[in-house]
This record gives sequence, C-alpha cells and structure tokens, in this order.
Amino acid sequence: MIFAKARNLSVLPADAPLRIEEAADGIRIHVPAGCQASLVERYDPEGPEPYTTQTKLHVTVAENARLTHYKLVHEGPQANHQSFLEVDVQKAASFESHVFLFEGAQIRNTIQVRMSGEDAECVLNGLYIGRGHQVIETHTLIEHQKPRGTSREFYKGILDDQSRGLFDGLILVQKEAQKTDSIQTNKNLLLSTEAHANANPELKILANDVKCKHGATIGQISADALFYLRSRGVPAPEARRLLIYAFASEMMEKVQLPEVRQALFPCLNLATSIKK
Amino acid sequence: MLEIKNLEASVGNKQILRGINLSVKTGEVHAIMGPNGSGKSTLANVLAGREGYTVTKGEVLYEGKNLLEMTPEQRAGAGVFLAFQYPIEIPGVTNNYFMKTALNSVRKFRGLPEIDAMDFLKVIKEKAKRVEMPEPMLTRFVNDGFSGGEKKRNEILQMAVLEPKLCILDETDSGLDIDALQIVAKGINALRSPDRTFVIVTHYQRLLNYVQPDFVHVLSGGRIVKSGGKELAIELEKKGYGWLPATEPLAGPPGRVAEKT
Repeated sequence: MIFAKARNLSVLPADAPLRIEEAADGIRIHVPAGCQASLVERYDPEGPEPYTTQTKLHVTVAENARLTHYKLVHEGPQANHQSFLEVDVQKAASFESHVFLFEGAQIRNTIQVRMSGEDAECVLNGLYIGRGHQVIETHTLIEHQKPRGTSREFYKGILDDQSRGLFDGLILVQKEAQKTDSIQTNKNLLLSTEAHANANPELKILANDVKCKHGATIGQISADALFYLRSRGVPAPEARRLLIYAFASEMMEKVQLPEVRQALFPCLNLATSIKK
Repeated sequence: MLEIKNLEASVGNKQILRGINLSVKTGEVHAIMGPNGSGKSTLANVLAGREGYTVTKGEVLYEGKNLLEMTPEQRAGAGVFLAFQYPIEIPGVTNNYFMKTALNSVRKFRGLPEIDAMDFLKVIKEKAKRVEMPEPMLTRFVNDGFSGGEKKRNEILQMAVLEPKLCILDETDSGLDIDALQIVAKGINALRSPDRTFVIVTHYQRLLNYVQPDFVHVLSGGRIVKSGGKELAIELEKKGYGWLPATEPLAGPPGRVAEKT
C-alpha cells in the first residue's frame, strides 16, 4: 500500500502561500484568502507488479481565493488507485479541477465539493481513457449551499477493448442556494463492442430559482468523419487515431499551465496509440 | 481517364443506379444534372468509395485501373477528390493540421517525401489566397461553426492543396448565396487545367454559368437519359426536368422505363 505524500504534489507558483500539512486523515491544504495558485498532483508507475495508491486530500479555498487543481493518474499497469478529494469553496472563491485518468488497472476518483460561501465558483473537468481490462470510476458531488454559486462539470471518457468507465455525478442544490447556475455533462466514446460506459448524471434541486442542466452521451467514432478523412487520403487507422485524439483534445485545451500541458501530451499520445 | 460501364448500385435494399455509362477524358469538365432522387449523389459517393453504397453490377475504370477495388484513401492517393455536399465538422482538429495530414498521406501514396511544417505553411497560404480563404480560418477546427459558404470554400481549398487529377463536386453550389457561389466558382476555375478532370454534380444550372462544362448529362431514374453540350444545361433551366423521358425514379425492374406521370 502506498499512501500519497506531499511529494506527489507541487504548487505553482512555488512561493504561493499555501499551507500543506500531512495529517492522520490525509493531506490538508489551505488556500488563504485572496491567494491564487495551482496545485499539480501526479502519480507515476511504482512498478509493473500490483500495488495500491490511496490518497486523501482536504482542501479549503478561502474567501476570494482561486485554486486550479491538475491531477494526472499514470500508474503502473496493475496498480489500484483510489483517491478522495474534498474541497470547501468559501465566499467568492473559485476551485477548478482538471483530472486525467490514463493508466492503472483500477482507478477510483472521488471528488466532493461543498460551496459553503456565496458567489462561489467550481469547475470540474476530467478525461478518462480505458484500455485492456481497466476499470475507471469517477464519483463526484457538487453541493451548492449558498446563493449565486456557479458550477460547470464536464467529464469525457474513451473506452477501448474490455475496459469499463463509470461516471457518477451528483449536483445538489440546497434550499438556501438560490440563483445557482450549474451544468453537468458526460460524454463517452466507445471504441470496442466489449467496452462499457456507465453514465449517471444526477441533479437534486431543493431551491426554486436556479438554472441547472445536465446531459450524457455514449457514442462511437462517426462513420461520416472517418470517411471524410479517408477520402482525403488519410489511412483508416490514422484517421481513427486522429478522431480519438480530437475527442480528447477538448479537455486538453482547457489546461492553461504550460508545464502541465507538456506532461500531458506524451501521456495522451501513449493512451491514444490504439493498436488497431 | 474515367470509364463507367453499366454501373448499378444500391443503398440498403433500394436500387438507385440502374446502368450508368459515362466516358470522361483527361481535362474535360462534365456536368451531371438531374432532379432530386435521380441518383446524382449516389454516383458521386460510389466513385469516392463511401460505405453503405453497394455496387451490384458494372465497372469503373480510373486510368485503366479498377476503381471499385480501391479503398477511399487509395483513391485519394491516386488523385480522386470528392467535394462533399455536406462537409463534415471535426471539432478538435485544426484545418491546418487536417490538411497537412491529408497532404502528407497522399504524398506518401504518390511516392513523394513528407512536406515539413514550414514548407506546408507556405503552400497552404498560397492556396488559401487562391481560393480567397481568410487565413484565420486555417487555424479553426475543421468546418466547426463554418457557414455553408465557408464549408464549401474549405472543400475547394482542400482540393487545391491535394492537387487531384479527378475532381468530383457533389452539389457544391447547394445552399450558397450568389456571392459565395461566385467565390467557389472562381476557386474551381483557378484549378482548371488540361490535366485535371471535373465531374460536377448539380441540381441547378447556375454554377454552370460560371464554370463552363464541355458536356452535360441528365440523370433520371438512375440512368443517363440525355447528353449534350452546355446548351443542354440552359435548356433544362428553362424547361425544368419535366419534359424529359422517365423523370420519376423508375418503379419497375431495371430495363423497363416507367411511364411518365
């Protein structure tokens, strides 16, 4: 068993005044009022044999602070990765998360965001790519507790071979959280007849003056797009790869930090290098 | 360069082409006109190798080779280009990247070395100017959010970049206003040359006001029912398709001419 340590985390800019403590129940991170910073969380292979990574992060984003969180899961082929992230977003604060779940036999990504202050913002983006027998699960909760909160959640999945992907997301709008504006989307691309995608987007609204919508799609590579590329001379396997890459790139384009982009693209190339 | 002999094809269980015969020589411009449902688009798609169209009879020789045995990418490599009636949107892939990938793919088929990024930029800028495509459109995603006119212009740009020998235009004029039509026609004319052949599929004669064909064929009920020079297009514009024999899709078995309704 490997527990995540602060060594999996890096903060940008390096001198941002974040408080990071290793506590008994996981790592506590406090983003002080008005602070703007990025937190990069990265997991690389510990070896080819089975092992488990467990992570627990408790994050507080204080008034008017902004935290952008990037997480790259690129574990060993037999690894079991279980992560739990809990975020408290306070008044007029913003939390933005970009999660990339690429390698690891079993990945379970849990995020729970509580918007405990007024005018809080939350963005949860994610991309999961499953191959072989990978099982990749995402469980998210965004709880709007106070008025005028905004949340945007967008997860995309690409599933090949016999892999399985699960997206299970709940947006909970409490009675007090009037004028909440929330959109939740999950899109899946199935590349094999034996791959599975489960989409379970859910809205639970207790307030009466909100703007919320959600949706999920599960589809395959468009035959029209494939023919379009082939009719321009692009061989079928390369055309497929290009369309898979295009599907994934929408999530990559949302990553602003050049350091993170540089780390992501080789992983994405690897993950989309389909053998077919 | 293109010989279509007694070509029959169906979509699903429905027979659409009922014996097309057409001979096209290098450098000629042929227009194929006809009412809706006559099989024009089916013919264009069969020539490009689209899935879902089954050839049940006949053959197509392209430069003496059996075109129907080739994959769509092989046809493109051999110099066949289809300008789509409804160009496909590919969000996530920029126009530049798409065209560079396509150009290098056809160059590989043609035994030419890959073109590097710098040389490609030179090529694409020059071609874009030729078809009056504003440069910012090159960095946008392929056809994503393009207007109808921009999509058709993008098809002509791809045609200019890939330098095909046989250009098949499937209703390239449909859905264009007069300004967009003129730009597209200008682009086509700029690409005309003695060693480039055009098959222009169209419902209306108006594109042919700008791109003068050598031959006009009228397709009806899955067959070519009349062929002539460019004056035939003008006659069709005046009289419509109603005066032609068997303008309704043929209901009976192939070989039988349905009665005019």
